[in-house]
Amino acid sequence: METKTVYIKPKRNAEVTKEEVFLKDVASLTCTDPHLLAKARALKVFQFREGGEKRAVISSLKLIELIQGLEKGITVDNVGEMDTLMKLVKVSDDKGLAVWLKVAFVALISFFGTAFTIMAFHNDVGIHDVFNQIYEQVMGQTSNGFTTLEVTYSLGLAIGITLFFNHIGGRRITADPTPIEVEMRIYEKDVDDTLIETADREGKTIDAS
Amino acid sequence: MLHKRVFLGVLGISFGLMTAGGVFTVLLAVGLIPRFAGKTHTGRKVMLYETMVILGTLAGDVFSIFEPQMGAAASRIGVPEPVLSALGGLFLLCYGLFAGIFIGSLAMAIAEMLDSIPIFARRIGFRHGLGIAVLAMALGKAAGSLYYFCERMFLFGG
Repeated sequence: METKTVYIKPKRNAEVTKEEVFLKDVASLTCTDPHLLAKARALKVFQFREGGEKRAVISSLKLIELIQGLEKGITVDNVGEMDTLMKLVKVSDDKGLAVWLKVAFVALISFFGTAFTIMAFHNDVGIHDVFNQIYEQVMGQTSNGFTTLEVTYSLGLAIGITLFFNHIGGRRITADPTPIEVEMRIYEKDVDDTLIETADREGKTIDAS
Repeated sequence: MLHKRVFLGVLGISFGLMTAGGVFTVLLAVGLIPRFAGKTHTGRKVMLYETMVILGTLAGDVFSIFEPQMGAAASRIGVPEPVLSALGGLFLLCYGLFAGIFIGSLAMAIAEMLDSIPIFARRIGFRHGLGIAVLAMALGKAAGSLYYFCERMFLFGG
């Protein structure tokens, strides 16, 4: 009997909407035998308990064990992650006003927070004194506090931030992701890593028996 | 005269560009806004938050750089006094609250980035009660801030 190989690529982070989690939810897989592939895809790997934890970590070893339990003589090749974080998310509970309020809240913090930061920075470095000093040295007369320097500084600041964040309003200047989008992915990855490692340390990872 | 003005202009633009780079690299390095977005599950609105960061910075810049001109302009327009003070009060309320939240998070994010809390916790063999420690930190910060302003410590200089 020839051996069949099932290739699995477990995801790092799988968001599921139903309590029953199937193999196809946590990994993408392929196999030369379509029947075996269909059976493997529909394999139930985990069941979230009603009212229990909404998160669980499953090891790829457990997935391999389950697939090998389907038939004799299957080889499983893992080309993806070692552990998968499964998250049960409710689609409907986060809509409308609540989301709008959250967005407004974060937007206001971003606005006033950065306004404060730049003002505190200007105060800290004594920007008026610096500007007056430069103005006097260049022009040879006292500054009235509203000169080319102040205007061009503000202009430069605007250009600098816009270039830095790479978009004007909703329009990107180049096709690259913006710095905060990059940071966002890094943050998500860190959180996933932490959750997976915590589960591992507490022995909560669903592993092969 | 003109060449001097052009020189000043070049200086101003360069200062602005470098300040933008410097200030925002720090803000970004501590990853505050991604964290807010992550906590509220509104990652799709990151663009909006960035726009607000840009607008906030520009507003703050105008407020602090053109401070004398702003006062003069406000009195020239001639908004009635009660309206002005009501709007001002509302603005101060928003400004204080949201800037406070931002700075509070920033302070903790910087402390966290330097790993001071994990290192300290490890040294003293801290296992339980992290929640209490965090709450104590928050209360301490609030108390310190109130004490600072009540006693008018800012009048005595650093």
